[in-house]
Amino acid sequence: MVVILITVGLLIVPFGGFSEYFIRLLAMIFLWIGKTGCWNILSGFTGYIDFGAVGYYGVGSYVTALLMSKGHAPFLLSILVSGLVSALIALPVGLPTLRLRGAYFGIATLAFAEGMKQIILEFDKTAGVNFFEGPHGITLPIGPKNEFFYYIGFGIMIIVIGIAYWIRRSKFGYALRAIHEAEHAAELSGVDTLRTKVKAYMISAFFLGLIGGVEAYWLTYITPHMVFDLLITIQMVVMSLLGGIGTVFGPVVGASFLTIVYELLHRDFPYTYTIIVGFIIVVVVLLMPKGIMGTLQTKRVIQKTRPVQ
Amino acid sequence: MGLLEGRNLTKYFGALAAVNSVDFSVEKGEILGMIGPNGAGKSTLFNVIMGVYKPDRGEVVLKGKTVSGLKPHKICRMGIAKTSQIVQPFAQMSVLENVLVGGLYGRNLSFTNATREAEEILELVDLGGLKEMASGSITVPHRRRLELARAIATGADIILLDENMAGLNPTEIEEVLKLLRKIRNQGKTLIVVEHIMRVVMGISDRIIVLNYGEKIAEGTPSEVANDEKVIQAYLGEKVCFV
Repeated sequence: MVVILITVGLLIVPFGGFSEYFIRLLAMIFLWIGKTGCWNILSGFTGYIDFGAVGYYGVGSYVTALLMSKGHAPFLLSILVSGLVSALIALPVGLPTLRLRGAYFGIATLAFAEGMKQIILEFDKTAGVNFFEGPHGITLPIGPKNEFFYYIGFGIMIIVIGIAYWIRRSKFGYALRAIHEAEHAAELSGVDTLRTKVKAYMISAFFLGLIGGVEAYWLTYITPHMVFDLLITIQMVVMSLLGGIGTVFGPVVGASFLTIVYELLHRDFPYTYTIIVGFIIVVVVLLMPKGIMGTLQTKRVIQKTRPVQ
Repeated sequence: MGLLEGRNLTKYFGALAAVNSVDFSVEKGEILGMIGPNGAGKSTLFNVIMGVYKPDRGEVVLKGKTVSGLKPHKICRMGIAKTSQIVQPFAQMSVLENVLVGGLYGRNLSFTNATREAEEILELVDLGGLKEMASGSITVPHRRRLELARAIATGADIILLDENMAGLNPTEIEEVLKLLRKIRNQGKTLIVVEHIMRVVMGISDRIIVLNYGEKIAEGTPSEVANDEKVIQAYLGEKVCFV
């Protein structure tokens, strides 16, 4: 009920006469929720910490940028292709890396994202063509107003949360959680663990690519250093941890919280805000190691199971 | 031909043959005991059967079909399940959900059917009252029953029990033995690896003895207990000092 009210409320916000800044901020939050939600689908549910998520975001950005600037393709088609390309890349990347455990998976994915950046940076020079434009970046056609991205971002956010919600309750979600808890036991219980992980990885990559495309169009100018920035991955990780890793609404809470804190502090403390944000993150993680949503959930579980003992 | 057969199974770790040319066969409804000193290759043999390791030589044949070389989840769906020596519950999931995973994936059941089955199985292993508990917060004897419940839920005809009774006290062991007999009477086939002699001797129809990866004896519990080679493997060679 609350969720429906908020949803309807958010749908009419652009007509409420709010400032351009406010609309932009909300659209930004939506897209961060989307990205964090994507990261959460693989890493949150299975515990495989993906440090290369930005790779798919960057690939998506570039596919949209190339299609729109050089191919004059329409926006919606471009972002869809972005998603598909990202998901298709995720398949050969995921098959070998998702056999690795723990830090090894993290390092492999980090290397993948960094590798993609280097390929786009150096491809033109090496091949002697003008395709990716190397470090100069690509300029996209000027896009519509912020309201447009507000609704696109809103739609993507709803879809990503919806998918996470569905996964959590589906058979697929049980497999992901079983992998998270005890992968070997899951395999012995009939779960095709590799296939399940690759599926989650590809879903995550698809939407990261999609969001990458949207943001590229919004920014109208991208360079490899911008869209393959490791900090984007890290922000997804931090937002997931804050909100509650592996929960459906964790990314919503984490991404909203951190984006708003950033904005508020950035305005009043332009020089020291990163220190303050760091401090806030440390406090939240210390007090609520399972994140905001995770802590709330644990409280419920404890209350529910107490009478049994 | 048996329900499950191992033919000339061999698995090397480097130069060490952890399992060496082992043949075995189990019939439907049988309880086969597997004993041997530490490092005899019992757990490795289980892992070879389950597809965790690929045998270097030989094959595992289930219902006339070669299954060695398949991945564990495939073998599980074909009808073999295993409980681990070290219990591995899906700790954050409830007891019921743990069993549910077995039904959902081992047998490809729908949610409603898997839930109903899971509840029945939990009643069978006497965990019905704990089904809402997080499986990470139940006691070790309960976790061992949970492992067994999950294995049954996969619909496997053959259940491999790798030291399912380690760490239990005599009363708890007695209960598990009763449970195992009940499961066998439902038509399941059990292969039991156990260190506690009384347990294996009491429950098995037939026993295989492994030592240094090789099968050194096979027979009824009393035959095996009186076998010269088995006594040697456990107690060492008789040495005359006179």
